[in-house]
Amino acid sequence: MPHEVIMPALGMAQDTGLIVAWHKSPGDEVATGDVLFEVETDKATMEVEAQADGFLTQVRAHAGDEVPVGDVIALIGDTTEAVHTAESPAGSAAATAALPDGNEVIMPALGMAQDTGLIVAWHKAPGDAVAADDILFEVETDKATMEVEAGHDGYVAALLAEAGEDAPVGDLIAIISAAKPDAPVQLSRKGQPAAAAPAPAAEAPPQPAADPVPEKPAGAAKPAAKSETGRILASPKARRLALEQGLDLARLVVAGHPQPYHVSDIEVLKSLPDEGAGTAQAAAARHLVADLPGEGFTAFAAWAAETAGLKDADALLAGLAAASLGRQRAAVAVEGFGETRIYTVPAGPFGAIAEAEPGTPPDLRLRDLRFSRITAVRLGAEDSPVLSVAASGAGLRLTLECAAHQLSAGEAVSLLSNFAGRMEQPLRHLL
Amino acid sequence: MSPAKTKTNTEDYLRMYRQMVRIRTFEDNANQLYLSAKMPGLTHMYSGEEAVAVGICEALRVTDKITSTHRGHGHCVAKGADFKEMFCELLGKEEGYCRGKGGSMHIADQSNGNLGANAIVGGSMGIATGSAFTARLLGRDDVTVCFFGDGATAQGLWYEVMNMAALWKLPVIYACENNGYSEYTKTDEIAAGSIVARAEAFGIESHQVDGQDVLAVNALTQKLVERARKGEGPFFIELMTYRYHGHHVGDINREYYRSKEEEQDWKVNRDPIIRFRSWLVEQGIASEEEIEAMNAEIKEDAAAAVEYALHAKYPGANEVDMHVFTDVEHALA
Amino acid sequence: MREITLSQAVNEALAEEMRRDETVFIIGEDVAEAGTPFKVLSGLVEEFGTDRVVDTPIAEPGFMGLAVGAAMTGTRPVVDLMFGDFIFLVMDQLCNQAAKTHYMSGGKLNVPLVLRTNLGATRRSAAQHSQSLHALVAHIPGLKVALPSSAYEAKGLMKTAIRDNNPVVIFEDKLMYNDKAPVPEEEFLIPFGEANIKREGHDVTLIGTSSMVQVCEKAADILAAEGISAEVIDPRTIVPLDEETLLKSARKTSRVIVVDEGHQSYGITGEIASRINEKAFYHLDAPVLRMGAMDVPVPFSPALEDITVPTPEGVAENARKLMSGEMIHAA
Repeated sequence: MPHEVIMPALGMAQDTGLIVAWHKSPGDEVATGDVLFEVETDKATMEVEAQADGFLTQVRAHAGDEVPVGDVIALIGDTTEAVHTAESPAGSAAATAALPDGNEVIMPALGMAQDTGLIVAWHKAPGDAVAADDILFEVETDKATMEVEAGHDGYVAALLAEAGEDAPVGDLIAIISAAKPDAPVQLSRKGQPAAAAPAPAAEAPPQPAADPVPEKPAGAAKPAAKSETGRILASPKARRLALEQGLDLARLVVAGHPQPYHVSDIEVLKSLPDEGAGTAQAAAARHLVADLPGEGFTAFAAWAAETAGLKDADALLAGLAAASLGRQRAAVAVEGFGETRIYTVPAGPFGAIAEAEPGTPPDLRLRDLRFSRITAVRLGAEDSPVLSVAASGAGLRLTLECAAHQLSAGEAVSLLSNFAGRMEQPLRHLL
Repeated sequence: MSPAKTKTNTEDYLRMYRQMVRIRTFEDNANQLYLSAKMPGLTHMYSGEEAVAVGICEALRVTDKITSTHRGHGHCVAKGADFKEMFCELLGKEEGYCRGKGGSMHIADQSNGNLGANAIVGGSMGIATGSAFTARLLGRDDVTVCFFGDGATAQGLWYEVMNMAALWKLPVIYACENNGYSEYTKTDEIAAGSIVARAEAFGIESHQVDGQDVLAVNALTQKLVERARKGEGPFFIELMTYRYHGHHVGDINREYYRSKEEEQDWKVNRDPIIRFRSWLVEQGIASEEEIEAMNAEIKEDAAAAVEYALHAKYPGANEVDMHVFTDVEHALA
Repeated sequence: MREITLSQAVNEALAEEMRRDETVFIIGEDVAEAGTPFKVLSGLVEEFGTDRVVDTPIAEPGFMGLAVGAAMTGTRPVVDLMFGDFIFLVMDQLCNQAAKTHYMSGGKLNVPLVLRTNLGATRRSAAQHSQSLHALVAHIPGLKVALPSSAYEAKGLMKTAIRDNNPVVIFEDKLMYNDKAPVPEEEFLIPFGEANIKREGHDVTLIGTSSMVQVCEKAADILAAEGISAEVIDPRTIVPLDEETLLKSARKTSRVIVVDEGHQSYGITGEIASRINEKAFYHLDAPVLRMGAMDVPVPFSPALEDITVPTPEGVAENARKLMSGEMIHAA
């Protein structure tokens, strides 16, 4: 068996050594103790002696090469023949050489103590053109799901992890090339070079399985963080009890009860008079009203139908309501004349508004009562927030009703204010 | 070489030679493991000082105790340890003497009376003295040898425990391996006055001996051990020796503190193994062929132990919180 | 039941264990004829002789190191460290040697020794003889730490410590040596890791260690007169810590104050408060409060020294704040 000549570890904090010179050439006969080569580290230059008798073969590093400590740089064999070993001289380098050139996209560190991120979905496929601010993929950590932008203009030359795979923070997961790649690559993490796994890990017992990724409740797109000002001060126990008993601490705020809330305040909360139609669910209802002395929507609808060919006034209503919600994309159900139509409203021009599949869960309901005799409503919360539009003299009365968990107080106020502005002067808000 | 006793000691002489070669061979392999980045951590070579560990430990019984130092592989081998468990420990493997929890600087082999290497310079001086205290309190005739280097004579702990050992006549022998260097500094620059006089100041009988002469070391130690067993201790020995390698593997650029010529002189002219080998041949105790065969056999043993250790299992992750407390299986459970 | 002083309780524990096991010995400065400055060991040398009650030179690292080696080779030393403040002198032998030997040897070597020393301020001894340094050793894995709060605990914990196969550090409060408490005449041991609920209550939990148990009990008396029901718990050992009992009480009362005589910063109070915060968060109706010694060296002047340690009045005042729902340290 040939004896391996290894780049020695000479210093306490040394990672590589520079080969200054070989004192033997391939095929030379060497004896134990012969000086084989000279190596330079940050500390000194040292002569390295042969540790076996034989012939120098398979010299894999040359004078001037910087070689990682522990790498095999040559063999001392029984004959002069170059022995071909299965071992590749530089495993990781060989494997990465197969990857296309380009800008590297790494798994970002999103939390302070985050080690890995789960790739939820790729938004681009290998070969796709991308702009720097295009969403490239979605990543989930223990804290949140986040969309990550490509960061570079170009083409997706390689995707090195599949959706559903965890990748360590800092690991290369995609490559974006300037030119359109001839052969874009799609690999799973399992297809990555094995160099990533430390050797001892193979023998260590399996780590306890990480907690499965928690299922996101449907419609959880609502941003988790509330504004600092909207935060109710309450003890952990008071919050837990309120949650368990279906009580809304916000009602204490409305009732003018001073914060912070403790367990004793839960009793006060329970003693507050019931609000609206009695079920525990309805207890958490929000009810906001805006009166507009005039309205601009009728004229706007007529103008849009004439100049832009947008003849569906319900779609326009949906568009204004969705814009008021401030989301990239929303489904809005418009109820009027005894029927309900659901629209998908993307960000952008109103022409892109389209009717959605029946049964699509709406993010918002818009109840058009302008042509009824009803002037005011208090119907309670439904499965999604409801904006009611009723006539009021020459103007409109707008009512927003929702459950407390659907919109925070601040979000409710903001939605109704935005919508009122849009109904008053639709064009101004479009521009 | 010291005068030979009698030919009836042939077995003892051959064992001493064998143990010295085992230490040298162990260190050559450990050095290679480290240099080839197969061994984690930090390690200190005993090569050159073999006659000290062997001369002393060959004068001890299995039940006698030793405490060792960061440069401790030699003491460990000399006190009877096996290559396999030692290499496993050096590589952090489950079958190591300490289940991979100690490593090069913490090998303990309690079955042979080795209370452990210590990575704090002078850290085991109290432990050795306490071990001698146990022998006295429980009426055992064990003797404890405390190995330490010249650098450790600067630690205050030594003076505190020497004082107590002398007051209470404890059966402990303080063995100072003076290899001339305290890490990267000449001993002359860190030790004022005489080292022997330090022990003498406490009324402790003190000796200086050529640490490259295994027979001289052994003869002196035998006498002192016998007297210590009878309650005539403690004793102090300063053993004049030399370390062939740097302070640790990787201390390669040493010319700022010692010359290559000096190193060559010790290696060629004063090597304890070469000297003892030629004496054995001269005395007709062993032939060159017999010695070569012994060397080869030891080399094979070591190679096999290294090979075994390289492929041995690492401890399971569940061991990480074991042995924190003796009576708690998992401290963090 | 008869009442004896804490000092007598320690003395009895040592004498009983030395009679039971001839490998037990005491070593330290002035432990024999002098019986220590606090006279805790008086009479022991007469019964057990100077071989087993060993006076040493003034050399704390030396006799501590000697004890580690003695413990490793078959004896059970009880090291007497005259003042807790001297623990800094023995740190290498205690923390680098005793605490790690069992682990570093992969379980082959044991160090069954007891280091008995003391803590506590207000004895007008100034900064180098008044510290409560138990948090320092509790930080090091491999050491057990016991804090007796009365003569009863002092005896039961000492006997358990001597029989334990690990290094144990016992801190007695040097102001309590003459305090009497009921202690049974018959043999008893107090297991490590079992907290003692000194007093049941339902409004607020007061966790106290060592002499702070008394402070908490007095605070509970004050609060009881005001209709506030305080539960008082003594962990007795901080390593191991009876977390379950502490958490159970925290979940019950939802308000907790942790009182300890070590410096407040980076100390025992912070550790216990943090564990309660982590494991009983949704049961808390108020922040867990820490009350430790003021973060200053212990001053000599009585006028200054007394204000550095927690008092019953201070504990009661904090308990009232927790009960009233007042914002504590809110921005």
